Amino acid sequence: MFLTSLLVFLLSANIGLANDRLSVVAVNYPLQYIAERLLGERADVVFPVPEGVDPSFWRPTIADISNIQAADLILLNGAGFASWVDRVSLPRSKLVDTSAGIKDQLIVTESIVHSHGDGGEHTHEGIATYTWLDPTLAIAQARAIMAAAIRLGLVDANDVEDSFDALSADLEMLDDQTQKALNGSTDVHLIATHPRYQYFARRYAVPISALEWDAGSEPSDEQVKDLEKLVSETGARILIWEAEPSAGTVEAIAELGVTSVTFSPLAQPTDGMDYLQAIEMAVSGLADAIGRQSDN
Amino acid sequence: MIQRLILICLFAIIATNAAAHKLVVFASVDCEAVNVEAKFSNGRLAIKGDIRVLDGNNQLLQTLQLGDDGTAAIPLTSVDHSSGLVIEVDTGSHENYWIVTPEDIVSKCGS
Repeated sequence: MFLTSLLVFLLSANIGLANDRLSVVAVNYPLQYIAERLLGERADVVFPVPEGVDPSFWRPTIADISNIQAADLILLNGAGFASWVDRVSLPRSKLVDTSAGIKDQLIVTESIVHSHGDGGEHTHEGIATYTWLDPTLAIAQARAIMAAAIRLGLVDANDVEDSFDALSADLEMLDDQTQKALNGSTDVHLIATHPRYQYFARRYAVPISALEWDAGSEPSDEQVKDLEKLVSETGARILIWEAEPSAGTVEAIAELGVTSVTFSPLAQPTDGMDYLQAIEMAVSGLADAIGRQSDN
Repeated sequence: MIQRLILICLFAIIATNAAAHKLVVFASVDCEAVNVEAKFSNGRLAIKGDIRVLDGNNQLLQTLQLGDDGTAAIPLTSVDHSSGLVIEVDTGSHENYWIVTPEDIVSKCGS
């Protein structure tokens, strides 16, 4: 009888603990990583976008939005990332625009001239969205999450400040390592298959021109011609891919004298690696390719 | 003739302007209806467009037209809104959507 009562007590205590965990939603993987580092076991941090879907253009279901509305904290990237957030009602008190404090550092872009429907050719001005590829901006975003969690009384300030200090130190180290790895690369022009790396390029003073290839698809003959033209205009010999291209594509690109390097921009997580590891690996690959080019 | 030409040119300019901006769709709920508004991001009203109303299983419940003032009302009694509603607006050249959850309706109506 005593054992049964003890068991019931322990089970209910466990359920109570599980229910005490904060529910946090992040619109991209880097914010999920940051929130997990800051909040640790105190929170379940959910990134609701299915694997293989670009979170910038994800279309949630009604059930997804119901779950998000019920969260304790909703972490937005800001800078125009995740268009779905402008198509739903979200509780303002739980929203954190993590780039609101760095608006003066956001990069204004203009997409290429295009057309759709019967509207004729036009351009859309926008903001570069992949802020977290500059670790110093990621620190600012982490600080915004910490401040919101404290302001809403969700966490103890001392606990989260310790976590922030540790995360901030890791991000500063990543920034330092990247600076050193790419030191002297400012004359090396790079091309990216998609415009994702504006903040990275600015932070490390590496010129990166961008094509508008669809992520994950093989380039058409016409797109390869566009690349060839950009190579002759810029002298670039390195092409950055968001995801590993096929061996055939790497060979075809190599025939233009261009080396392929994979650098996941991390809006979605990379298998088996966290944010820090994935950027370290990408930078290492980039630095190797730049080094080989300089040797030739 | 000249007046007609000016009108045609004016329409062409407006149409081009509209196409150069995003369509913004917004829906709010009261106890009687879902009120839909559609306009372009430059502030101009979307005066013509189809509205599709879908449920939580993505099943089409109703289609209606956007009014001349860029709005439309969907009476709650006219649709099964128990699983929420997705409001899609399509002007022909641009489209966008707004999601209304069951909680949005309950919080405004209390039922």
